[in-house]
Amino acid sequence: MIERILILLLFLVGFSGILARKNIIKKIFGLTLINSAAVLLFVVEGSRVGSQAPIMEQGISQVVDPIPQALMLTAIVIGVCVTALALALAFRLYQAAGSFDIDEIRRRVHDES
Amino acid sequence: MKRPSVTSSAIPLITAMIAVAAVLLPIFLADTPWPVGARDYLQENGFGDSGAINLVSAIYLGYRAFDTLGETIVLLVAVGGTIGILTRSGAILAEGYTNPDTVAGIDSSEEEIPSFSLAREKRKSHALRTHLLEVVTAILGPIVLLFGFYVMLYGHLSPGGGFQGGVVVASGIVFLGLGNRMESSTKLTQAAVLGRIEAAAFLLLILASISGILLGKGFFGNPLSRFTAVPEGFIIMLNAIIGLKVGAGIGFMCIAILGRER
Amino acid sequence: MSLEDMVFLPVVLPLLGAALALCAKVFLTGRASRILEYTGVFIGLGLPWLFFVYITPMMYAGQAVSGVIGAWHTGVGIMYRFDGLAYLVNILGFSVAAAAWVYALGAGPKGPSFSSVFLIQTASLAAAIMTADLFNLFVCLEVLGIASYVLIASSDKPGAALASFSYLMVSATAMVFFLLGLYGLYRLTGVLSYEGIASALNQLPDAGGPVALVSLSLIVAAVAMRVAVMPLYGWLPDAHALAPHAISAVLSGVLIKTPLFALSRVLMLMPAGASAGQLMGYAGAVTALAAVVIALSQKDAKRLLAYHSISQIGYIVSAWGAAIQVGTTTGAGVVLMAAAFMHAFYHALFKGLLFLSIGTTVDRAGERNVYVLRGAGRILRAHGERFPVTLICFLIGALSISAIPPLNGYASKAAISYALKGTPHYYLLFAASIGTVASFIKLSRIFWPTPKGSAAVLDDVPAAIPWPIHLSQIFLGLLCVIGGLAAPALFAFVLRLISAGGADVAISLKFYSSGTMIKTLIITASGVLLFLGAITPKGSALLKRVRERRRDFEGLFVSFALGTAALAGWLLL
Repeated sequence: MIERILILLLFLVGFSGILARKNIIKKIFGLTLINSAAVLLFVVEGSRVGSQAPIMEQGISQVVDPIPQALMLTAIVIGVCVTALALALAFRLYQAAGSFDIDEIRRRVHDES
Repeated sequence: MKRPSVTSSAIPLITAMIAVAAVLLPIFLADTPWPVGARDYLQENGFGDSGAINLVSAIYLGYRAFDTLGETIVLLVAVGGTIGILTRSGAILAEGYTNPDTVAGIDSSEEEIPSFSLAREKRKSHALRTHLLEVVTAILGPIVLLFGFYVMLYGHLSPGGGFQGGVVVASGIVFLGLGNRMESSTKLTQAAVLGRIEAAAFLLLILASISGILLGKGFFGNPLSRFTAVPEGFIIMLNAIIGLKVGAGIGFMCIAILGRER
Repeated sequence: MSLEDMVFLPVVLPLLGAALALCAKVFLTGRASRILEYTGVFIGLGLPWLFFVYITPMMYAGQAVSGVIGAWHTGVGIMYRFDGLAYLVNILGFSVAAAAWVYALGAGPKGPSFSSVFLIQTASLAAAIMTADLFNLFVCLEVLGIASYVLIASSDKPGAALASFSYLMVSATAMVFFLLGLYGLYRLTGVLSYEGIASALNQLPDAGGPVALVSLSLIVAAVAMRVAVMPLYGWLPDAHALAPHAISAVLSGVLIKTPLFALSRVLMLMPAGASAGQLMGYAGAVTALAAVVIALSQKDAKRLLAYHSISQIGYIVSAWGAAIQVGTTTGAGVVLMAAAFMHAFYHALFKGLLFLSIGTTVDRAGERNVYVLRGAGRILRAHGERFPVTLICFLIGALSISAIPPLNGYASKAAISYALKGTPHYYLLFAASIGTVASFIKLSRIFWPTPKGSAAVLDDVPAAIPWPIHLSQIFLGLLCVIGGLAAPALFAFVLRLISAGGADVAISLKFYSSGTMIKTLIITASGVLLFLGAITPKGSALLKRVRERRRDFEGLFVSFALGTAALAGWLLL
């Protein structure tokens, strides 16, 4: 229970970063945080049904649910890829506008176009 | 001047936060027992179906290999897109740190060179690097590469697999790139070579996924099952291909960001 | 090759083409590289048509192919289902994608990297519509998303980078919500396939209770964000307006619709799907009207088109939502879903055509402001267009979207209003049609002949218009006309595919009757009046207010959060 509350708090911290921070790098951090929160939730809860790692060597029984782990592996990689692309775009925006502040960027970009 | 705009825009933000918290609360608080049907099935049959002791690998490259293909494609597009955006920016990143003056925070005057730095004439392309870094990474690079291939190829038996191994391989490539002084001893740190490995591995992956169709085993079916009764061959093959692709792709991206070569 | 393998061809062939294009980039140079790239594109965008032709009789007979990828155990493997709907959406996607790629050959962006990303995007569209597994849908949507972020950012304008960044942030956030919804459903049911989830939920007491409803609302909201239904539309205008023209055509034509039809597979099975569809239907009808008002206020030509995409997707969503609400096993539901698809298909054609022809024009004129640009026909002539192909194509598109017979937009809007007759949606869509006419009169003014002065030929664009541009425009233009003339036959075909060949759906829809003609006349006349009202000082002051309403980055997330909460509240109460 307490883990899930903490993960929810982590999620909300990340979401507030996306929402309220002006710096786009911090917004990207917020995105990484909420992604991690979702991954954590899935893996932590999926590990409740067993006690051993899902590697079926001799004498292993009662493994944790391997499906959440496999799914989250995919989700983590996708999250990393999206973050990399977002950072590249942030760099491009910094070059165009000379600032990481989203309002400033919007203003400069709209002045140009 | 600034204060009123902050408070007036804070209300929608707070409302949004409360809305999100309220919506997510039931999901986070749900404490129905975790379903065990799939787990029980896998515990019984996962090894027999796929030949992989590591059940996560069995799902990742067996039962749900199509997801993995999608994930690999996301990585491919992200690497290509990131490099494209960075190089098109005509940036310091793409050209490399060739000019010490452009490196923020490092003054080019003689006195302020960090104490571990290389001699000035060797330092041209590595303004921010030190002896320590270069020596250690150069020695560690091949070891890390080897470990990466181990993780990649033994993914069906132990924690690991193509992606994890690939990322280790990529960090090995980055180590080689960092430790590699002006005289190049390996081609693995050249962006062109990495790009080729990545493209070839992607083609191989697509061919592996459709080879099952041609051999009558269906899309993402195991093409090797015609020739051998050991089912894990296909997983090892996919692990190796994905490992190469991921290693080359992420290595490519890091090398491009390091600014070694275009 | 069995049928079970063949249905993967629309996914695999573009991927193979993408791999070849990528190899062309890194292994070859010059002519050889181009030949391999074009071979890859032919494999990816051309060969699937052989499959579509081959499978048409089976689809017409109501056959559906389904199973588990790789023939694994059902509970763990990925389920797929290729049926009439998947077939139709594939046809939509591949026809517009082919035209857009040919256009890009003439107008850029081009090169093997572009081709490979473009093919990957097409493959992910095909994969998204045929998957029957929730996590696989997540992966497909992510592939789709990342390809479109990269394609939008491939324009050189800094605005495009900002548009891509905004789209990326809001859609990546939405996908995390999708993931949480997936968690909720997996926790309740322990399976990931649509059918498995639905049947497990039906066995639970109270169908899973609030957790199931909230999870479903998170998934629906994340997909609705991609579809750009109000209030989740904020990312679209910038992205579609600033992307390269060929990409705009695909984004508006195909990309915002595929997730919608993919979602319909989920909602048709879920216990609470009907009620979610109902709310989406209302949102769609409101979107249709609100977006057209904003469109009327725009001054940038492509942004005006982008708002029209939102408005037209509103038409589609309102019919689609009503179809989900009554269920697509009923006759009324089939008609509604068929009408929604018809409009989606025809909108893809005419909006693709509009983006391409307007793109050609504004590139040659070097001016995108519809209040400033005049005499565009003369400018195009100065660029070597002896026969006004682009102008005619634009007119076909504009008349289509304004629902003038006998073009295709008329036919599909007639189908939608037939299907929705007697609902509140009907009146909202009627009003939206008037706005559409008015705003296209406004856009058409860029072709208004100027009295004198010779149009300057810009230096930075080639003097002659390359043939691929004309070819793709003519292709889409012809499809628009044929689609209008052959609408009755096509509508019957779509009805049969969506009802899976079985149920005979009786419809009394006559596309070209005197009643619908009079209605068209009323709409057109009111549109002209509205346009005249809009250019009065009072009208333009009002529109300026609409145009310059406050839009900020945070608004995207606030509206997403509130929209999700509203949907969850609707389902719970």
